[in-house]
Amino acid sequence: MMVMVAGALAGARTVCAQDKLALDGSTTVGPIAKAFAEYTMRQNQNVNITVSESGSGNGAKALLNGTCDIANLSRDLKESERQAMEQKGVKPVAHVVAYDGLPVIVHPSNRVKGLTLEQVRDIYTGKVTNWKQVGGADLPIVVISRDTNSGTFETFKELVLGKEAKICEGTEYTGSNGGVRQRVQMTKGAIGFAGLGFVDRSVKALEINGVAPSAETVVAKSYPISRELFMFTKGEPAPDGLVAAFIGLSRSEKGREIIEEIGFVPVPEKK
Amino acid sequence: MRMSTRKLLDRAFTWGACLAVGLMALFLVLVLAPILVRGAGAYVFRATTEYRRMMLDQFGRGDEAQIQAERAAVAEARRPLYEALDAFERSLPDLPAARRKELKPAFQEVREGLRLLLGPEPGEPLPALTRRLYGQTRWDRAQEKVRNVLCEETWDYSGEGEGVRVWVPRAPKFAGTALEPLFPLLERDLEGLLRPRLTFYPRFLTDKSLDIHFFGGIGAEVAGTVYLALGAMLIAVPLGIVAAVYFQEYAREGAVITLLRSCVNTLAGVPSVVFGLFGLAFFINTLHVSPGKSVLAGSLTLALLVLPTVIRASEEAIAAVPRAYKEAALALGAGQWRTILTVILPAALPGILTGTVISMGRAAGETAPIIFTAAVSYGALVRPSEVLSQATPALSWNLYNICTEHEAVDEIRHVQYGMAATLVLIVLTLNLTAILIRARVAKRLKG
Amino acid sequence: MILTERERAQRKLLGLLGRGVLFAVTSVAALAVLAIIFFIARDAWPFFQQHGAGAFFLSKAWYPAHATPQFGAAAIIAGSLLVTATAVVLAVPPGIFAALCLSDVLPFGVRQVVKPVIEVLAAIPSVAYGFFALVVLAPLLQDKGGRLLAAAWCVLAVPVLSLAAVVAGDLLTPERLKGLAYRLVRGLLTALFLTAGGAVGVWGWRALTALQVPSGVNALNASVILGVMALPTIISVSEDALQAAGRELREGSYALGATRAETLFKVVVPASVSGMFSAVLLGVMRALGETMVVWMASGNAAQIPKPWFNLLQPVRTLTATIAGDMGEADQMTGSAHYHVLFAMGLSLLVFSFACNLAGERIVARQRKRLRGG
Repeated sequence: MMVMVAGALAGARTVCAQDKLALDGSTTVGPIAKAFAEYTMRQNQNVNITVSESGSGNGAKALLNGTCDIANLSRDLKESERQAMEQKGVKPVAHVVAYDGLPVIVHPSNRVKGLTLEQVRDIYTGKVTNWKQVGGADLPIVVISRDTNSGTFETFKELVLGKEAKICEGTEYTGSNGGVRQRVQMTKGAIGFAGLGFVDRSVKALEINGVAPSAETVVAKSYPISRELFMFTKGEPAPDGLVAAFIGLSRSEKGREIIEEIGFVPVPEKK
Repeated sequence: MRMSTRKLLDRAFTWGACLAVGLMALFLVLVLAPILVRGAGAYVFRATTEYRRMMLDQFGRGDEAQIQAERAAVAEARRPLYEALDAFERSLPDLPAARRKELKPAFQEVREGLRLLLGPEPGEPLPALTRRLYGQTRWDRAQEKVRNVLCEETWDYSGEGEGVRVWVPRAPKFAGTALEPLFPLLERDLEGLLRPRLTFYPRFLTDKSLDIHFFGGIGAEVAGTVYLALGAMLIAVPLGIVAAVYFQEYAREGAVITLLRSCVNTLAGVPSVVFGLFGLAFFINTLHVSPGKSVLAGSLTLALLVLPTVIRASEEAIAAVPRAYKEAALALGAGQWRTILTVILPAALPGILTGTVISMGRAAGETAPIIFTAAVSYGALVRPSEVLSQATPALSWNLYNICTEHEAVDEIRHVQYGMAATLVLIVLTLNLTAILIRARVAKRLKG
Repeated sequence: MILTERERAQRKLLGLLGRGVLFAVTSVAALAVLAIIFFIARDAWPFFQQHGAGAFFLSKAWYPAHATPQFGAAAIIAGSLLVTATAVVLAVPPGIFAALCLSDVLPFGVRQVVKPVIEVLAAIPSVAYGFFALVVLAPLLQDKGGRLLAAAWCVLAVPVLSLAAVVAGDLLTPERLKGLAYRLVRGLLTALFLTAGGAVGVWGWRALTALQVPSGVNALNASVILGVMALPTIISVSEDALQAAGRELREGSYALGATRAETLFKVVVPASVSGMFSAVLLGVMRALGETMVVWMASGNAAQIPKPWFNLLQPVRTLTATIAGDMGEADQMTGSAHYHVLFAMGLSLLVFSFACNLAGERIVARQRKRLRGG
C-alpha cells in the first residue's frame, strides 16, 4: 500500500515537473519562444510555460543554475560559459531553432539606400557622423545599438565592427530589438540594427554591400550580417518529454510556419 | 525700494506661487490624460465583426446564432472582393509579360493587405498564429490598415534633403484589369465589410491574453500585480506594526534605538533597483526561497521596500492615540501587552490602514525590484496554489516589456495604454481609498 | 489585584520575553539594511580588487563587451549626476513656490483639495511615467522640441525679466529725486532695462526655436520627468518645514510692515532653510534612485555630453545600467561585468546613505536649535 502511494506520489511529481516549462534568455529569440509557448499551451491546457526575456547571458546563467529548462541564446555559448557549465557537470546541448539576419535600419525618410559594411563600421565607430558623408541629407547621425552584452550586439560586433573596433561614445543603447526599431522609426537621423523579425515597413532596411536582407539572402548566406538562433538544454532532452516536443516544434511544419509568420527564417529542411 | 515696487513684487509672488501649484496640477493632467483617455480605448472601442467572431471562437462568448447570421451577411458583402481577386489571378497568365511582371508583386501586396484587414480568405488553410486567424478586430486599426490596401506607401527622395512620404493610390495601376472594382468597393463599403459597433469590453481586465496581447486581456498581469502587492503587504504589515509598537511603546532613547531608526531611514532611501539586486542575491541565490524567480521572492523584496513606509505610518498612527486612552487602560489594571492589543492598536487602526493602503499602491507600481526576482515577460495566469514557486507577469514590468520588446509594438498600442491606465487606476484607487479613510478619521476625531 | 511572588516573576519573564521578540522583529528592518550592504558589497568587492577603484571612478571608457573590456564608470556617474541635478534644479523653484503657496497663500479649503493632488502625483508608478516619456514626450520633443522649449522660455522669461527691469529701475533711481524728475528718470531707466530684457528674451527665443533635437530620448526628457516625480516630495517636506516655522515669526514680521513676500523670503524661508534642504536632499535621492524613467527616456549612451551641459544629448545612468546590463551580464563565471554592476549598486547605496546621514544631521541640529532657542 505504502509503496503504491509513494509510487503514485512520485508519478504525480514527475507529471508536475513535466507540466511546467521555464524559458529564459535572449530578447531576440523571445518572440519565437513566446509564440511556441502560446501554441503548446493551446494544444495542452495542463502545461504552464513561462518565458523571460532577460538576455542571452542571463539565459545561460539560468540554465546553469537550473532556474530554467531551456535557455534562448542569440549567439553560441562563450567558452567561459561552456567551461563553467562543464565544471558544474552540466552538458549544454545546442539546438538551432531559426536563422536570423540583422538588417541595418534607418528612418524611411532617409534617402540612403544601401551602405557597405565598411561604411556601417565607420558610422558605428564615429568616423562618419553626418548622413551627407555617405550620400544622404545633411543630418547628424543618431547611432542606436542594442545593449553591449546582448547576443545581438555580439553578433553585430563580430560581423561588422571586428574585434578591435570600439563603438563610438555617443551611441544610444536600447534594451531590446523592439526598442531599437521604435527609436529608429521615431528619429529621422537614426541608424540601428535589429533582428529580421522586428523589421517592418515603418523603418527602412538598408542593402549591405548591395544585398537586401530577406529570408532568401539569409539562408543563402549572401546577406553578410546573419546568424543562427539557439535554444540550449541541459543534456539531450528526453525524447518523449515536453522539452523535446517544444524544441521539436521548430522543425515541424506548424512551427516553421510560426517562425516565418513572426519574421524569422526557419531552418531549411534537410534534403 | 519704493512701496509700489514692493507691492508689485508681493503680487508677483502670489501669482507665481499659485502658478507653481497650477503647474503641478497641469503636469498631473498632462501625464494622466493621455494614459487614461487612450487607455479607456482598450475597454470601450468600436469592434468589428472579426472581434465578435474571435470572441465566439476563443472565449465562447456572444450569441452564436446572431454572430453566424452576421458572418453570413458579411461573407456576402465580401464576396465581390474575393471574386475580383480570383478573376484577376486567373487573368494573370493572359497579361503581357511586362505588365504581369509589374502587377504581380503589387497584387500580392493587395492580397496580403486584405488578409490583414479581413482575415484569411475563404477556403484558405488556417494560419498557425492566432493573430492571423482574424482580420482587424478594432475599427480604428482597420481604418489604418485599409489605407495600405488602397494606397502604396512610398518615399519621394527627389527633393533636397530628407525624403517625403507619398501615398500612391493603387487603383490606377490596376485600371482595366479584373481587380479594378475591388478598390472603390473597399473605399465605399468598409463598414459593411467589417460592421463596426461600439463595444464595451470590461473583461479586458481579467481575460487571458491571446497570442501575446494581440487579442484578449491582461488578466495574468493583473493577477500577478495583485499577488505581488498582497504578498508584500502580508509580510510587511505585521513586521511594520510590531516595529512601530516597539519604537513607540517600548524603546527608550539610546544608542541602539538611534541606530535602529537610522537603519530604517536608510532602508527608505535605498534605490529600488538595488532592492532588486539584493532580492536576487539574497532571497533567490542564497536563501533559495524558490528555484528561480517567483511571486514569493518578489513579494519579499517588495515587502522590504515598503517596510519603512509602513513603520512610519504605523508609528504616526500610534503616536496620535491620545495618552489618556493608554493611561486609562493602565489604571484599570491592564498590562502593557493588553493595553497595546486592546486599546492602542484598535485606536490606531485607521491610521495604520491608511499607511498600508498607500504602501500597497507603491508595491503594485514598482518595477525595478521585480525585474530580477518575480517578473516574466510571458506566462499564464498563476494559480494561488503556485505563488510559492511560480514567476508571474505583472502590470508594471509587462508594460515596459510590451512597449519596448514586443515585435509588433505599434499594432498593440491600445493594449499598452490599457495596461498603463489599469496600473495607474489601481494605484490611484488605493491612494484615494487611503485619502478617504484619513478624511473620515479626521472627521471622527473632530466630531 | 494581589499577585503572588511567582506570578509576578512569571509576568516579568513574559514581559521580557515579549520585549525580546519585539526587539528581534524590529531589528529585521535594521538587519535588512546591513544585509543589503553586505550582499552588494560582497559582489562588488571582486571588481575593485581586480580593476581598482581608480579606473572605475576616473576613466570614462565604458566598453564592457570589448575583447579587452574597460569598465570606466565616470561617464555613467556623470550621467546620473547630470540628470539628477537638472531634475532638482527644475523641480526646486516650482516646488518651493508651491510649498509657500500651500502654507501661506491658499485658503484652508483649497489646500485640502491640493494636498491629495500632490499625493496622487507622487503615487503614479514610475513605469507609467516612463511610458509617458517614451511614447508621448519623446516624439513631441523630437518634432517640436525647439518650439516647446521656446514656449517654456517665454512663459518663464517674460514675467521674470519684466519684474527684474521694474525692480532695477526702482533701485537705480536716486533717492533724492522728487516729482516729475523722479518719474522721468525712473521711467527712462525702466524702459532701458525692459529693452535690454526684451533683447535677451528675443535672443533666447530665436536660439531655442532654431534648436534641432536629433533624438527625443535624452538627458532633458529624463530630467523633466524626474523633476515632476521629485516635485511632490519637495513640496510636502518643505511645506512641513514652513509650517513648523510658526505663526509668531510671521506675525512679528507683518507687524514691522513687511509684505507677505518679504515676510516669507526674508524671515520664514531662512528660519526653515534646514527643512527645505532636507526636502531637496529627498528629491535628489528620489531622482538618483529612479530606474524605469531613466532607462526608458535617457537614451543610455555612456558619454559625457559635449559640452557637459548639453541636455539634448543622450546619457546613461547608474540605475539604468544595472537594470539593463544585469540580464545580459555573464554572471555565472563571475565576470567583471557582473561585478561592476554591483559596484555601481554600491556607489548608489553609499551616495544615498550619505544623503540620508546629511539629512538626519540637519534635522537633528535644527531640533536642537529649536529646543535650545
